[in-house]
Amino acid sequence: MSAKAAITVLNGGTQTTVQDAGRPGHRHLGIPRSGAADRLSFAVANHLVGNAWDAPALECALGGLHLRFETEATIAITGAHMGAQVQGMNVERNRAVGVDAGDILTLSYAREGCRAYVAIAGGLAATSFLGSVSTYMPAALGGIEGRALKAGDGLGLAGPAQGPARTLPKGYIPSLSSHAVLRARAGPELDRLSAESRRYLFNTPFIATPATDRMGSRLRGDRIVTDEPLSMTSGPLLPGTLQCPPDGQPILALADGHCTGGYARGLHVIQADQWLLGQIAPGMQISFRRALDGEAPDILQTRNAVWGTLIPGFGF
Amino acid sequence: MSGPNLREYGDHAVLVEWEADGYDADVGDAVHALAARLRRKGGFTEVMPGYDSLVAAFDAARLDQSVALERIRDALSRGPLKADEGDSRLIEIPVAYGGADGPDLDAMAERIGRSADEVIALHSGRDYRVCMMGFIPGFAFLSDVDPVLRHPRHETPRAKVPAGSVGIANWQTGIYGLESPGGWQIIGRTDALMFDADRDPPFLVETGDRIRFVPR
Repeated sequence: MSAKAAITVLNGGTQTTVQDAGRPGHRHLGIPRSGAADRLSFAVANHLVGNAWDAPALECALGGLHLRFETEATIAITGAHMGAQVQGMNVERNRAVGVDAGDILTLSYAREGCRAYVAIAGGLAATSFLGSVSTYMPAALGGIEGRALKAGDGLGLAGPAQGPARTLPKGYIPSLSSHAVLRARAGPELDRLSAESRRYLFNTPFIATPATDRMGSRLRGDRIVTDEPLSMTSGPLLPGTLQCPPDGQPILALADGHCTGGYARGLHVIQADQWLLGQIAPGMQISFRRALDGEAPDILQTRNAVWGTLIPGFGF
Repeated sequence: MSGPNLREYGDHAVLVEWEADGYDADVGDAVHALAARLRRKGGFTEVMPGYDSLVAAFDAARLDQSVALERIRDALSRGPLKADEGDSRLIEIPVAYGGADGPDLDAMAERIGRSADEVIALHSGRDYRVCMMGFIPGFAFLSDVDPVLRHPRHETPRAKVPAGSVGIANWQTGIYGLESPGGWQIIGRTDALMFDADRDPPFLVETGDRIRFVPR
């Protein structure tokens, strides 16, 4: 534990990592963007404590994170509802709160959504790689030794630990539920899927299986298959792509997903809805809705205008 | 070689796809020349070459998909896409073939009816292009092996393939950047670090580079 630690990790929970906005532009080298899986909740958490929207913060998947603050600090919790408490008292999400030196923050388990974000005024100090401190565990990059937090870790801050006490205006709270509806456009091989599979894709919900992490989510539902066996040469792959392997159970690629793949790329979640990918928890229902021609840019412009007004510099 | 097809990949990317049966060196040249042109042009968040395709992603708030398509068509129209357009270095990679470093060498040689030495001579006897990188950081997907060396992947992937392992999967050969699970036939291993986060630059090779394997 560092002597200067502003925060001590008492329990890392299921998987808590340091994330920022990620390191785009390196997929051709096999380096995924990574970064906060739910970019919106992450940006909101930072905004509430007065940080730049992309300052390093904690991303806690599924719950179980316990932290002790060694200094007075302003913090905010957003994203999945995990019954956060400070010193045993419930803490509201989506507003900045002050904690005292010695206070213990606990997150229990995710009741809706998958990932909670904890931003601390000043932002976290962590290892940078290619311009980002995002933790990418498969290559041990960024964050704290490139891994998930564990008991005993000490976290430092990059700036003063106190910020303004902002509250999120009511209409702004991102709504999460146990049934995510993701709007999507055709992936390059959508027309290679059978007619029946294409109907299923947009009409019947899937369930996210326990094989769900920052790399991807394997879905269970009606079998999605190609008309004929597809012998593809591996090619580039983007997050938010629904890959359709021959076993019929599609895989949704997420923030840490592989940069290349060899299966039919059936759908691609639109840019404005990609933040929701970070809130897919095992057991959740996932539906895909086809975005019409011209609809996706409108949704994106509207949402960027709304959120960009509140959070300077933020865009989906 | 005919011109590529362009198609939308969701709302914030475009796929450029050539017709190729297995590995086609002309297509490989075209992919890398186009990648170089698009990087020079700017405006894309990711320019990702593949063997016979390229994906260019962008921020849909800053670039209309129709404009992105137009930019790519424009790049394609600026003369033939040639081999020498993108940056390309020749990089020698020392390889220890066989033994613990190449656990599949002997069995593979036997199945294709050649000696291990012949496999080594054939594999190190030609230069390869780095066509694509992924699925893990620094994994280099290389151009085609001598037809004699074509060999399918293992039916069940190994749980752990060491970093630097050199393998064959059908007509492809490649180098594992990091230890990872993998199903390729492993015939050797290099001590050269394909990926080292603490080195500048962290990557030993980039797409477009040529690689020569030097048996140790």
